[in-house]
Amino acid sequence: MTVRRVAVTGLGIISPLGNTADEFFSNLMAGKSGIRHLKADFADRLDTKIAAQAEFDALQHFGKHKASSLDRVSQFALYAAGQAITDAGLDLEQEDKNRIGIYLGTGMGGAASVEEGYVRLYRDGAERLKPFTVLMAMNNAAASAIALEYGLTGSNLTFSTACSSSSVSIGEAFQQVRHGYADVMLAGGAEALLTFGTIKAWEALRAMAAEDPEDPAASCKPFSANRTGLVLGEGAAIVILEDMERAMARGATIHAEITGYGSGNDSSHITQPSPEGQARAMRAAIDCAGLKPQDIGYINAHGTATPLNDSAETAAIKLVFGEGASGIPVSSTKSMHGHLMGATAAVEFIACIMALKQQALPPTINLHQPDPKCDLDYIPNVGRRGVSVRHVMSNSFAFGGTSGVLIASQP
Amino acid sequence: MDTFETLRDIIVDKFEKDPATITPDATLKSLEIDSLDTFDIIFDAEEKFSIKVPNEQVDIKTVQDVVNLIDKLRADQQK
Repeated sequence: MTVRRVAVTGLGIISPLGNTADEFFSNLMAGKSGIRHLKADFADRLDTKIAAQAEFDALQHFGKHKASSLDRVSQFALYAAGQAITDAGLDLEQEDKNRIGIYLGTGMGGAASVEEGYVRLYRDGAERLKPFTVLMAMNNAAASAIALEYGLTGSNLTFSTACSSSSVSIGEAFQQVRHGYADVMLAGGAEALLTFGTIKAWEALRAMAAEDPEDPAASCKPFSANRTGLVLGEGAAIVILEDMERAMARGATIHAEITGYGSGNDSSHITQPSPEGQARAMRAAIDCAGLKPQDIGYINAHGTATPLNDSAETAAIKLVFGEGASGIPVSSTKSMHGHLMGATAAVEFIACIMALKQQALPPTINLHQPDPKCDLDYIPNVGRRGVSVRHVMSNSFAFGGTSGVLIASQP
Repeated sequence: MDTFETLRDIIVDKFEKDPATITPDATLKSLEIDSLDTFDIIFDAEEKFSIKVPNEQVDIKTVQDVVNLIDKLRADQQK
């Protein structure tokens, strides 16, 4: 079967560490944290008052009516999509829009709109909800907003597999271009779930990090013995995937090539990860890319900083890479940008692409207490520049068990 | 403020329109207000005028049609 090569030609991002790929990556390399005390009127009523918020004022980017008819998650997605299209230098008026699709991931879609509706009904005793409630809350609202904005009529799907949503969306979009169903795909994810009800639900799961008593920004400690859990974040990341020949013919800047994608389900437990399941997805991605494990030069880990994830993921990496595992740099950038749920894999994929471009590996910060069960090279605390890396892998695993692994390569 | 002026303010505020373009005879279509946006205006009007607009289809083409609907419901519902 002949397949096409797939280029990454555009990057768009809104994150707790900046709203351009360059700013985001330079903050990662500097080991900066985007985690801080949550700015919200309900923060007093939370047990854990930290989060990784994005700085984004919709009214600076959209008219009042548009801003008020789009949930924050769709505002993020629309803005990141515009950035990615501009970065790719795509002139959409010259394109066959039937050949351009959009695949997005989100865990909770318009969470704030759902919650606002419930507050009106149950707390305030209102009889009616705003006419836009359904349209703002539905999980496909973000992908739909992009299609409407740009008139893109190709395949338009939303993937919701919790924390791996935007790994799966990028992977499936890659397949669309690779197999010729589309020439260009906008792919990524968006999440805006820092609402009172959603954070409370996460607190109840007891998966959230305790606030570091000395430095709230240092609360997320992946792979460290004193890790206590994840920190919720918000944002969006969208990449432009494009048929490589076409991208080269139009003289586009090719940030990277996406070469591998593996996905599957652990099918073991709703929250507990299975190293075997994770290893299957990594092997599938490596096979898809036509590579050997030793070709991988950096792994952006799922690395949530929950006690269970980090030891399971370490074990899974050992299953795939065997003796070579300790020689591969692995980092969890969630230590800095938090866990953006349905957007997190896309944000981390952009970190991987920037790592390839700049030949620089971002660190895992807050790693000061080694855990015997986590004994790989996690690039502790300080990033590395001047590396020589051709292929990078991004791991994403999820509650519900759906894994997604992406591989990007130097073009 | 009369019904028209209140309605005009709702439309101006929501859609950032020039108040001068909102005249009684202006069609909603000419103001680029579609059926979904009309529901949104009605939602605000319900709050402002303390009325409840029934779900049945109402034929609304112009700003004056909305004014008439509101006035009729206010009269009916105050009885």
